[in-house]
Amino acid sequence: MRKKNMSILGTGGRSVAAALLAVLTVAACDAIDPTQVSNPTTTDDDLAEATNPTEALLPGLRAQFARMINAYVVAEVITDNYSIHGTGIIVDMDEPHEVTSDLVNSTGTSASGVYWNVQELRALADFVIDEIAPNDPGAPPALVAEAHYYRGMAFLTMGEVFSNVPHEEDGSPQPSETALTRAVADLQAATGFGPQANAALARAHRLLGDAGAAASAASAVLGADPDFLFAPSYDEQFLTNTPVAFLVLRALQEMQPLPRLDFLDPKYTERDSPIPIAKAEEMHLILAEAALASGNVGEARSHLASAVTVAKGRGMVSFDDIDERRNADLSLRPRSSEILIRADADSPYRAGLVLNRPSDGLEIPYISGTSLSADSIAGLGSANEVWHALWLARQEILLLEGRRLADLGIKLPMMLREIDQNDNINEGDPGTVPVVPAYIPQNPRYAMDIYLPLDLYDGVDPGAPLVKNEVTMHVDMNRILVANNASPFN
Amino acid sequence: MQLSRLASSAALGLLALLALTATAATPALAQTGVVQGQVVDAASMRPLSNVQVLVEGTGIGQLTNSSGRYVLLNVPAGEHTVQATLIGYDQATQTVTVAPGQTATADIQMSSTAISLNEIVVTGVGAETTRRALGTSVEVLSAEDFELAPVQSVDQLLQGRVAGATVSATSAQPGTGSLINFRGISSVFGAQTPVIYVDGVRVDNDQSTAAGTGGEQSSALADILVSDIERIEVTKGGAASTLFGSDAATGVIQIFTKKGTPGAPRITARIERGIELPELKYIFDMGVIFPERVESGEITERFMRDLYFKNGQAQNYYVGVSGGTAEVTYSVSGRLEDLSGTQPRDASTNYNIRGGLQASLSEDFTLQFSGNYVRHNFERLYNGAAIADPLTTFEVGDALFFSGASTLLEALDIFLLPQIDEAVNRFIFSAGARWNIMDDLSFRMTLGTDNRNNQQRTYQPIGFTPGEPTGNLRRYDRNFTSVSLDGGMTYAWESAGGTVGSSTTVGVQGFREEESVIFGNGRTFALPGTFDFDDAAVITAGEGNVEVFNGGFYVDEQLSLWDKLYLGGGFRIDAGSSFGDNIDTEFYPKATGSYILSEDIGLPLVDELKIRSAYGQTGKFPGAFLKDRTFSATSFRGESAPRFANPGNADLRPEKTSTIEAGIDAALWSNRIGLDFTVYEARTTDALFDVPRQPVTGQGIQQENVGEILNRGVEVALNLQLLNTQSLAWSIGGTFNYNHNEVTDMGGVPDFSAEGSQKRVTGCWTQSDPNDDSTCRGGPVGAWWLTTPTDTNGDGLPDGSERQFTGSFPVPDKSGSANTTISIGNDLTISALADWAGGHEVFDYGSVWATFNGIYRRERIRCGMEEGAAEGCAYAFPTQYRADGTVRGKYSQSAARSGFLYDGDYFKLREVSLRYVLPEDWAGTLGAGRATVYANGRNLWIWSRNQMIDGELNGLSGGGLRLGGESSITLSPNRTFRFGVEVVF
Repeated sequence: MRKKNMSILGTGGRSVAAALLAVLTVAACDAIDPTQVSNPTTTDDDLAEATNPTEALLPGLRAQFARMINAYVVAEVITDNYSIHGTGIIVDMDEPHEVTSDLVNSTGTSASGVYWNVQELRALADFVIDEIAPNDPGAPPALVAEAHYYRGMAFLTMGEVFSNVPHEEDGSPQPSETALTRAVADLQAATGFGPQANAALARAHRLLGDAGAAASAASAVLGADPDFLFAPSYDEQFLTNTPVAFLVLRALQEMQPLPRLDFLDPKYTERDSPIPIAKAEEMHLILAEAALASGNVGEARSHLASAVTVAKGRGMVSFDDIDERRNADLSLRPRSSEILIRADADSPYRAGLVLNRPSDGLEIPYISGTSLSADSIAGLGSANEVWHALWLARQEILLLEGRRLADLGIKLPMMLREIDQNDNINEGDPGTVPVVPAYIPQNPRYAMDIYLPLDLYDGVDPGAPLVKNEVTMHVDMNRILVANNASPFN
Repeated sequence: MQLSRLASSAALGLLALLALTATAATPALAQTGVVQGQVVDAASMRPLSNVQVLVEGTGIGQLTNSSGRYVLLNVPAGEHTVQATLIGYDQATQTVTVAPGQTATADIQMSSTAISLNEIVVTGVGAETTRRALGTSVEVLSAEDFELAPVQSVDQLLQGRVAGATVSATSAQPGTGSLINFRGISSVFGAQTPVIYVDGVRVDNDQSTAAGTGGEQSSALADILVSDIERIEVTKGGAASTLFGSDAATGVIQIFTKKGTPGAPRITARIERGIELPELKYIFDMGVIFPERVESGEITERFMRDLYFKNGQAQNYYVGVSGGTAEVTYSVSGRLEDLSGTQPRDASTNYNIRGGLQASLSEDFTLQFSGNYVRHNFERLYNGAAIADPLTTFEVGDALFFSGASTLLEALDIFLLPQIDEAVNRFIFSAGARWNIMDDLSFRMTLGTDNRNNQQRTYQPIGFTPGEPTGNLRRYDRNFTSVSLDGGMTYAWESAGGTVGSSTTVGVQGFREEESVIFGNGRTFALPGTFDFDDAAVITAGEGNVEVFNGGFYVDEQLSLWDKLYLGGGFRIDAGSSFGDNIDTEFYPKATGSYILSEDIGLPLVDELKIRSAYGQTGKFPGAFLKDRTFSATSFRGESAPRFANPGNADLRPEKTSTIEAGIDAALWSNRIGLDFTVYEARTTDALFDVPRQPVTGQGIQQENVGEILNRGVEVALNLQLLNTQSLAWSIGGTFNYNHNEVTDMGGVPDFSAEGSQKRVTGCWTQSDPNDDSTCRGGPVGAWWLTTPTDTNGDGLPDGSERQFTGSFPVPDKSGSANTTISIGNDLTISALADWAGGHEVFDYGSVWATFNGIYRRERIRCGMEEGAAEGCAYAFPTQYRADGTVRGKYSQSAARSGFLYDGDYFKLREVSLRYVLPEDWAGTLGAGRATVYANGRNLWIWSRNQMIDGELNGLSGGGLRLGGESSITLSPNRTFRFGVEVVF
């Protein structure tokens, strides 16, 4: 190896230059270490630094609860309450028999589906209740009670909507009764959070078929506040009311109501509109149902009348509706107040169920609304007539509050991802396919949503005149529920 | 506009200054003479232009003119060697003796080579290596190949010019980049875009640098321009990319810009004008979608052609100066390109200033510097799946519905209200040094940075009814910074007589990349004209930040024996910030071998024959922070609301692709035929799949090293010199590429979607025994998985529907190109380039959309509009039957998506160029040394097997893995015709 002369630096200079370069390199590496990166999101290490972790995580539970409720109410598209006419929601969700474990993920993406959000709420509540709060000396009992409420609501929803689901990683599917029992335990630990815990207990006991406990919890709610309402609002910007996207802001016709429920639509009109979680009307309806199940028709009629009275006192919102009420093929749906509707071919035509649309200044009930009245209830004779009115009242008063799925007896399958990833669950196991009672009609397709005649209007243009004003629904699901003794108390 | 003037003035000023400096720096010596001569092709005696002629050891040089002539002034008296270099020819030398004040003549004959075995390559090897020593396939494109090609950006340049590359455009919209793929899809996450280096700086190659506008995304490839590129080296993964470690599984493209050559200042000015025509082959217009409005006379069948599309203007101006002395060379240029676009709001303007400098501080110490500034302003239109996309909405019949307008003219006005503007500012700087410490020991280092800033403003004015009618303004700012460092020490020695030679390189190479995105949205404005989103009633904002470091240490050994047998080996040890906490380093080995067989065995018609083989590993590092368990929060009712985010994986490591390849390079039939043939098998192990956690955990998906993907294929490049006479030379060439892509192990993960719900990664694409899952064979990444009509009751009539694999895939498995060049005399050159791809199927989302309006677009276009025209027509959309065999009607789009999948095969006449070098005396009247007029065209003709959508386009590619093959109504790249004059002073 022969050294070469470097003209600009002598041997000494080169040594100095090399030393300088080495020092500079080391110094530069220390000053601007290129290997150091900073994760801009909270890691486990960051979480450990939080001073009040329970308090810090509670807003997360509130938001997740809001997401779960959003998904839960939109799942009403599977029932007769709403039909799907746009691309925002997978159209197969409209037919309960066709709901599969991959479809039920959602209205489109997995993270917006009921199953996902129920489990995330449960898991996040587990994290707060079991891992964070016990090690957080500053965790306020009221917040721990609130966390139990959310976990109780997750179990309640789980038991109401799904037949069998796992409750822990690698767990085997648990029947809905187990979920409801766990809901009861959490909700009993949550009574410090307010009457909404008792309202949820009433629902859980009802679904478990315990009329006495359900009535007792319902009475406790009404005793605390005869007009009780728990309806947290949504966020105008960041976590909005999902139905509003499909009912009001829609680009297409995603969710169109059953024509006989038209007067109740859209229940939510603003991005931050609250969704009722618990309300006095429902407590009266549970008391009415318990009374009916024990054969006390008179008491049932009285509770039903109370429910209707509370519902009608809730108030209306004025709404300018630009929706043209179109089907997927752009044909016009019922949208004129002169239309008369009968619930099925054996029912009488009724007026006042359809509003003129599009129209400004429509008056829409935003908490509860019903076509029943004190007079119509007073006129009910047989137990079956009261049962029918009860199911109709539940359908109308609790519209878009999520109950219709369970009222019809439909249970959804768990999410495909759960089946795929859990070695203890296989395709075909309980909970992997929908449970649809035999009394739910499936021929023709979308039987619960359809009506005749189809050509109500002369053409499809916006100004097309009405040519027929009598509409007959294909089926009255409330009549079918009566015929099949569908109440959990029966 | 003011900025542009300023930039142009600055560029011109800089050029003038440099020209003066360079002129002043040229020494005028007393004891000198002149060397002149002509360079000709040895076989045909045809003069060769653009040959770099250099007097060795003096730095005095020149390019030959169109007659092959050169004149070198001020050559010191004495004996000299004149060296001539030209791509495609063996280097030639001629000795000449110069007497003071005299003119000496050195005519040189050059022999063409069909394969350039003596060409120097630097990519993927520790030190400069001749091609004959490479065990791998490395493609080299030189300025000669594309100097006046009608392309704007590097991705377009690569189209049809690289064997084994599939390059497919996104659309005609400015700012978009092509999908570039070498050797198949080797990963299921992230784009397959190769890593790109410009003068040693790892540059931004992100394919989605702005907020989505419906599918066609803005890409950083669009502003990697093609001015003053000296050479591009392309490695396609495997051993050729091993030294790039965890960052090279998709291949590496290295771009080297010009630094100038010794000689007097050489000023090149180019003026180019042209027109752009919209490619309307796949646009069917109003007669199909709104026949009743055509019948009523409201519009014509050419509504969109007449009122929406237009012929655009193209302008391109370039001025550059280069030259230098033996010690300092330079190349500086400025460029302005303006395209008015072929749609109402898709104009673009590019400004580019760049400079390259090389200075020898001593005989053994050289510095290099290059700087490049690009400003790219362009407009965009909503596209693809966006309701606001004007093209789709008119083509599928939704224009009136979404606009709320009563006439189509009114609707068009509404759809053209939105303004989407983007501005890119990009600086790429590179500095390098090379120090020959001793005869056999050298050191080199390159340090550089790419800074790219992109601003996007998406404005929906008040009254834009398809969107937010109260007005909406969205801002999206992205800042990208990368810093790259590459340094190495090479020890090279040769035994006496040159029997054994060795070159050992030890080096470090790494980069740090930072990406910061800030976005804001303002909804509902009181007054029109507001361009500040903080004037809105509802304001939201957010940000995203990514930081990545990846670096490694490498050793590379090249051993040569008897100058015909070459063995190589090496490894890289890598560390990265994205590796899980349990992973310290990764090891990537390589081994190569090549043998110049023709040195030992004489075969008939074979001039040179090299056989080669190589094994090497490369990697692809995981997502930046996916190793950590994280919590993310959103604002909810005024509180910060946390939830689980990434589950975390301490064992996360790069996925590794091991490639074994073999091939031959051959020159046949007196160097008339050049052949390059490579077979390869690349297996990606520890492939990073998004593994879902059980939903019961409340956790989402986590990247894990579980999968395995196989790519196997062949690459062929063939060049044929058909004629080579003094008056006429004609060559043809072509490339062919076939790739088999297969997921060979799912790692226990169930099938999952890849880029949208219709493309899937599956471990069971075919199954030889339907009852035995172990007989399953995996599919290609992104195999089409679509709802397909089925016969559920066995009556032979479709009545049901289920999602099925269609047996096809969106990425072409075959592609290739053909080119030809004819030189008439020495002044006129005509060349053409075509490329094709096939084997894939493409999805027609536009026609899906049309069915929302009850319009079966494919059926109406292909079968006709008359009643019953679809009966018996091959393009009829499937009919659904009831269980009793009676007709139920057409299938819904959601139940028969397979009906919208078409054969994607296409062939495109990509470029035709004609170049004429004006006679010297004509150029002389301009005071110029050389003047060339040229005309060229791009995207001139398309053949495609399906006639509904362009099989090349990727109009609906989302972020992440980008496979393409899915388009809405998307305009194909424009047909362009350009005419230019280049004058060299």
